[in-house]
Amino acid sequence: MTTAMLELLLEPLSEPFFVRALVAVALGGVTCACLGAYVVLRRMAFVSTALTHSILPGVVGALLLGFSPYLGALAAALLTAGGAAWLASRKGSSEDSAIGVMLSVMFAAGVALMQQANSWRDFAGLLFGSVVAVGAEDLAVIAATAAGVLFGLRALHKELELASFDEEYASLLGARPALMRMVLLALVALGAVSCVRLVGALLTTALFVIPAATGVLLGRTVPQVMAWGVGCALAGGVSGLYLSYHLPAVPSGAGIVLCCALPYLLARLFAPRR
Amino acid sequence: MSRFWTRFTRQLGDAVFALLPTLPYARPEKPVCAGDAVFARGLTAGARTDGPAAFRDADFSIPCGCRTALIGPNGSGKSTLLRVLAGLVPPQSGEVRVAGFAPALGRSRVAYLAQRPQLTEGFPLIVRRLVQMGTYAHHGWFEECRHGDEAVDQALARLGLTELADRPVHALSGGQLQRALLARAFVQGAEVLLLDEPYAALDAASREIIERFLFEQGHAFTVMMATHDPADLARFDRVLEIRAGAVTTRHACAGHDHRHA
Repeated sequence: MTTAMLELLLEPLSEPFFVRALVAVALGGVTCACLGAYVVLRRMAFVSTALTHSILPGVVGALLLGFSPYLGALAAALLTAGGAAWLASRKGSSEDSAIGVMLSVMFAAGVALMQQANSWRDFAGLLFGSVVAVGAEDLAVIAATAAGVLFGLRALHKELELASFDEEYASLLGARPALMRMVLLALVALGAVSCVRLVGALLTTALFVIPAATGVLLGRTVPQVMAWGVGCALAGGVSGLYLSYHLPAVPSGAGIVLCCALPYLLARLFAPRR
Repeated sequence: MSRFWTRFTRQLGDAVFALLPTLPYARPEKPVCAGDAVFARGLTAGARTDGPAAFRDADFSIPCGCRTALIGPNGSGKSTLLRVLAGLVPPQSGEVRVAGFAPALGRSRVAYLAQRPQLTEGFPLIVRRLVQMGTYAHHGWFEECRHGDEAVDQALARLGLTELADRPVHALSGGQLQRALLARAFVQGAEVLLLDEPYAALDAASREIIERFLFEQGHAFTVMMATHDPADLARFDRVLEIRAGAVTTRHACAGHDHRHA
């Protein structure tokens, strides 16, 4: 019995692509869970959805023009963040609707560009993730982004915490909450770009929101929320990969997101009320 | 290993901070108050810079260490005046100085307590960390808090929060939260406290702790408090009244040197 289970766990590890996928999911999961803590606590889930969806036109455009898809994705995500901020700063337009406009415009542009490229099949991995196809180069990009994002979060921890909790006091002390918000959006864009290979443009929001939402149910401080979120993302990511390896009917991206939702459900049901 | 990383990030943070000396954050300010803590001449201001003025041509001054009550009917501009002094709203015209300088953000000597603090609901934060936020004024960008623990303990004790130090902030009652925010202002090292109706919706116990903190330790702070309680005015050295767009001074008080100068 135990040997059979051990076999289930060890057998995939002999495949190099599976090991690469595991490392990618671990790095991406840690990055997204830590960033996600602020996304959830500041109620920025909608803007993170907009950023992750807007990666689509960036990647397709980059492929059409022939430069790095990562650069294209980052440019598109930053364009969305900047555009939403600019639209929301005009009178008579709420931030909510500004983000809605940018999200649908960018996604529609992506669909139009995909038609230009004449092949929907090639972009299925972009929309739904293809972590098993991650190569050494992708792994390097994911690792570098993870290092950059985590360093940024560590260096600006107290400023981000203060600006997220009490915006007025932050500006009284001169900690510039508006600047902090922009830094956070840029970090989310960076994280989204690196994680789009794992679960796809349509599901990357899940990596930001679900582990961190679990963390919020269990943690009493921001570092605790991040730690619980990282645990949830790692557990969900690794079990999702195994699930899709042994059940080929489940695509890896969907498997990861579904397995991340399980700890959230458990925390929701059994976490002590605070 | 983890100690190495802590040291490494600290030193990297310090190095980066040393490269950015002009950031308007955490400028060290010497706690010296001489003459007027608050001074205004020809001050006109409204809740918004481009909106109607709440009061016009106000002339007043408050000596260091003086406790001032700010009274006036609802909507007369008490909150606006406090926000102008805190630097959150620029004045429409006139001259104003707080602790010797024009109000600006990023000043640790001035603290402001809003009537209804806009805190993010459900944010995971314990009381001790909330109070510790006051020490941010003495840390630079990229620095984590590493000094000021004694000041935090002292502030918690003086405002009767020692037993609540590890509670989550969102589990506090209104009065406990108000006390925690006052403790944060104390830890910040502020000399000029601008308080917007701090007693609104407080029980007697919380109110007594806050009053003891503000009034029974010499003249360590210059206090300016918006209040609606007529029975309370006897405690103050001076009363400023805003009525129909005019600011008038009703009492005067002699200056006091700050005790912790």
